[in-house]
Amino acid sequence: MSDQGREVVFAQAIRTALREEMKRDESVILWGQDIGVYGGVYGATTGLQREFGKERVRDAPISEMAIAGLAVGSAILGMRPVVEIMYADFLMHASDAIANQAAKWRYMSGGQFKVPAVFRSPGGGGSGYAAQHSQNIEAWFCHIPGLKVVCPCMPRDARALLKTAIRDDNPVVFLEHKSHYTHRGPMPKEEETLPLGKADVKRQGSDVTLVSWSRTLLWALEAAERLQDEEGVSVEVIDPLTLRPLDLDCILESLGKTGRLVIAHESHAFCGVGGEIIAQIAENHLDLLKAPPKRVCAVPCPLPYSEPLEKAALPDADNIAAAIRKVVG
Amino acid sequence: MQPERIEQLLHYYKDMLRIRYFEEKILNYMLPNKLFRGSSHLCIGQEAVAVGAIHAMEAEDYLYTTHRSHGHTLARGMDMEAAFAEIMGRTTGVCHGRGGSMHLADASLRILGANPVVGSNIPMAAGSALALKMQGKPGIVVAFFGEGALNTGACHEAFNMAALWDLPVVFICEDNQYAISVPEATAMADEDLHERAAAYGMEGLRLDGMNVLEVYEYCRASFGKTRRTGRPALLVFDTYRFVGHHTADSEQYRPKDEAIEVLREKDPVHFVEREFLEDCLVDPEKAVDIRLEIKEEVEAAFQRALNGPWPDPEKLTEGLWAESEVTCDE
Ligand SMILES: Cc1ncc(C[n+]2csc(CCOP(=O)(O)OP(=O)(O)O)c2C)c(N)n1
Repeated sequence: MSDQGREVVFAQAIRTALREEMKRDESVILWGQDIGVYGGVYGATTGLQREFGKERVRDAPISEMAIAGLAVGSAILGMRPVVEIMYADFLMHASDAIANQAAKWRYMSGGQFKVPAVFRSPGGGGSGYAAQHSQNIEAWFCHIPGLKVVCPCMPRDARALLKTAIRDDNPVVFLEHKSHYTHRGPMPKEEETLPLGKADVKRQGSDVTLVSWSRTLLWALEAAERLQDEEGVSVEVIDPLTLRPLDLDCILESLGKTGRLVIAHESHAFCGVGGEIIAQIAENHLDLLKAPPKRVCAVPCPLPYSEPLEKAALPDADNIAAAIRKVVG
Repeated sequence: MQPERIEQLLHYYKDMLRIRYFEEKILNYMLPNKLFRGSSHLCIGQEAVAVGAIHAMEAEDYLYTTHRSHGHTLARGMDMEAAFAEIMGRTTGVCHGRGGSMHLADASLRILGANPVVGSNIPMAAGSALALKMQGKPGIVVAFFGEGALNTGACHEAFNMAALWDLPVVFICEDNQYAISVPEATAMADEDLHERAAAYGMEGLRLDGMNVLEVYEYCRASFGKTRRTGRPALLVFDTYRFVGHHTADSEQYRPKDEAIEVLREKDPVHFVEREFLEDCLVDPEKAVDIRLEIKEEVEAAFQRALNGPWPDPEKLTEGLWAESEVTCDE
């Protein structure tokens, strides 16, 4: 394992991955709204247009359907587009290109084509952006065979996974969190990649397995720390990193030790990825569970603007700790 | 000037001041004091379009606006306290704190909503016009949006259907030159924006959006025509936003003094003061009084809003579903 390197913010990790892959491979091209001079509304592309020029880093009109559609078409002919959709909520505009086209083009053509496109987009709440600028829609894309879905939390993982996503010959939906771009974490200097579909154990433990991703992982780690310190409960925390393909084996291995499961994510529970994980375990590995599993997710309503309401709607370390207590209790 | 004309002008002037002071309060006081969350999109510089167009509407008409909604909503008569309170997330807000600055709506004023999903209000406006038409109701629907929205698929699909189905809707595009950081030339293949209407057999006009009386006259004529013929139209107003895209904008995409220069020449509020007020007001001190009066009005509304209670987290999910009784067939 390489050294821990310097501290960077999440946005910088994304930028590093883009930069390294653009240097490595001429076919890597970017477009999206305000990604040029402005560097993206969250600064993920700052300086890239200056470095790589206006041909390879393009400001796009407010045309999500076409932003994503052009990505698919160019990928089919050998480019490796990484497009930014300014807010994950607007992936819904782009979803024909992503879900109907990119995900299916290879299979429908009997394997004649591949679509190496990456669709990057920030989702998530916590910043007072209200119902139409805060959604977590990873489950929407996880539902579609043919798409890979990545949901990193730590800057180091984000950089390593985005590099792999760009090199992958399949379409990848790469979901970031808008309240997380200034989150700091170590990132090694040397280039590093991580395989898609492999989870990472973020914290070892023996009493409960806690699965969490994206920004919620921070609250999961906080809850785990607190329970250890205050109540002596040992929580193993797993970040799946990639939600599809899902590394179920990593979770199963942990459950072999703990027999207890809590899943925490900011997206809704209903038809969510947490439910999918529990279903897969219930179908084939029920014997591993010593207690009913629990999910900690957003309250099922559109995300309200007002601060006390938004706080009440989203999972936090307290909710997660409470769920863990129930599961071990 | 005729007395009615003077009354009209003073009325519009006050409305523009109200919007300007309302937004200056957001920018200069609420922002540094962290009294709102997320971001707030100000229309400083664009008040003439809002006030001229809204006053050309009838009470029976409906409107949709965007993330940049304060001008339209206040000109239409939204209670300032309720607007401030919404932006601060209080229960006394016009949407009970659930929406915030980007989602101001007021059914009682026929403001069907501010829609920050760029372009998405355009088909909705056409749909509301379809409802009016099919219900045989009077009135038209007006949709406000920025030039950036003209690049959405939703916009073109809705233009076509509105023209195809003869829907009483007027599309008002406020061309403020930038979509966040992107200047028009970077995003538009052809900058004769109003000509896009012709592709759908719809009337399209490009107009000056800095002179409130002219905006009013243009809109009056256009709305009247849509009312009579039931045909949609596109009005593109040239305007400019003097402040950032939103309250967190670094504005590094435009020359530092560009906004200041445009402001000096074209500020729609100063324009009224410069061109008309002298004609209307014998006593120039009266203009000072008007400004003071409006400033106080805005301040009082703000103070009342500041006292509004926070929403109760227990009621988080309240109002998600319409509770009407459904009778099922046996
Ligand atoms: C569908 C969609 N894509 C992107 C955004 C992010 N966004 C918010 S405002 C904006 C620029 C809008 O420009 P314009 O339509 O000209 O209106 P203005 O802000 O200038 O009033 C963008 C890209 C959005 N809200 N909705």
